[in-house]
Amino acid sequence: MKLFKSISKIAIGLTLLIGSLVHAEVAVIVSASNANAALDQDTISRVFLGKTSNFPDGSQAIPVDQTEGSASREAFNDKVLGKSSSQLKAYWSRLIFTGKGTPPKESGSDAEVKDLVAKNPNLIGYVDASVVDGSVKVVFKF
Amino acid sequence: MVLRKSGLAAAVLLACSPAAFSDDLNINGFVSVGASVLSNTDVHIGDYDDNASFSNDTIVGLQISKQVNDTTSATAQLVSRGTEDYNTEAAWAYITYAATEDLDVRFGRLRTPFFYYSDFLEVGYAYNWIRPSGEVYRLDTFSSINGVDFTQRFSTGSVDGSVQFYYGRFSDDFTPVDETYNIELRNFTGVVLNLTQGDFGARLSYHQADMYMPELGTKTGALDGLITAATGAGVGDKFVPDGETTSFYEAAVTYDNGDMFFIAEWTALNHETAIFNDDTGYMVSAAKRFDDTTIHLTYSNQSDELESGTVGLIQKNLEGKESSITLGARFDYDTSTAFKVEAQYQDEDTYLGAPGESGMLYSVAVDLVF
Repeated sequence: MKLFKSISKIAIGLTLLIGSLVHAEVAVIVSASNANAALDQDTISRVFLGKTSNFPDGSQAIPVDQTEGSASREAFNDKVLGKSSSQLKAYWSRLIFTGKGTPPKESGSDAEVKDLVAKNPNLIGYVDASVVDGSVKVVFKF
Repeated sequence: MVLRKSGLAAAVLLACSPAAFSDDLNINGFVSVGASVLSNTDVHIGDYDDNASFSNDTIVGLQISKQVNDTTSATAQLVSRGTEDYNTEAAWAYITYAATEDLDVRFGRLRTPFFYYSDFLEVGYAYNWIRPSGEVYRLDTFSSINGVDFTQRFSTGSVDGSVQFYYGRFSDDFTPVDETYNIELRNFTGVVLNLTQGDFGARLSYHQADMYMPELGTKTGALDGLITAATGAGVGDKFVPDGETTSFYEAAVTYDNGDMFFIAEWTALNHETAIFNDDTGYMVSAAKRFDDTTIHLTYSNQSDELESGTVGLIQKNLEGKESSITLGARFDYDTSTAFKVEAQYQDEDTYLGAPGESGMLYSVAVDLVF
């Protein structure tokens, strides 16, 4: 019995370790020239759900999504927005067909989003933390 | 809700990356295909009967929108409904002018914002049911009007909200019971307040219009019969609607945390004229999500309210009272396709003044958006 317990302990430990290794960190980024420092999850979620169009400092905020199916997008939807892809589709279909809003533009992969965001201080995106460089600023990490 | 103007976004994006964001003509669509069967024809739910019907819940919609410049866009939504022999009509056709970042003005053919689900009533994919409760969502004829509306969005702290005001006119054929009449609604106006905070939402709205039905009394339908009876009883003028005001009140609260969803919506219709009965309709609905499956349960109730005395006795001829319980499931088997099944128990307490029956309506549907 004792042996079994230790084995399961080791197994749990290993699982946790592998889990944390596999889980890549995703960073929410703005251009290095954007004046806002850190943003909280609620603000980011409101920008990406079209509920607000401004950064906390009042400047315009335009969210950009990654292409459907990308690992960063799945993680962002799940952890930051707290919605599955079909829930998001239903959410946006309520707005698209009433002319009240359109979802963020799909703007490619981690590298492409980073390049876009770097060039425009009004954009906000999310990328795998590994592609972050000096051209962008990390405002939230998960 | 504070929703950014996509046009402005597209314009700003265009400025920095023309290649990636050059197309500003948006085409979106929705399709619902359904089949239903009623257990017996002693109950009355839309045009459903005890043979399988394939057209009552079948709708195809195509929306085209074009950003004309930074502040102006044009949108048309063409809808073809199985209930109307698939004739195509414009449910929406309007020009939006973004007066400020938070104020939109729309001119054209607009969806009348009576209910919480009015704006996306026909986009089945956007909600869990195959169709919203008939006891509450009962002003189908008047679901689009021609006019203008103003929507002001605002945020205070963690509360996002909007106030919408509209003014317009409606004129079309209307079949209230058995006979079809031209109906005109003038000074058709209303105001809608929407609030959301986190998982909670609330909606309050008020609508009113002056009703004109000049053909009433010239035909041989149930309503013409009422007028004859009322005239005989000396209260005929109470049953002539021309110029009389009708008011509609609505309140809804919602909760949605992603796994649990709840909505309660209450409505009341109040006519100055006695030709139509005042009524209230409400529903409460809860849904629980298990991964890609959502189970929902809804109770709804509609009840006419008659005036007193002779007028009320005449109104009783068309009195209605009913309730329903709907149990259903939605399966999201793809990010843009949902399969739905529903069983609805309909209990008609009173139908056209007589004791009613009860029955079951079974439905399946596939909803998709693109």
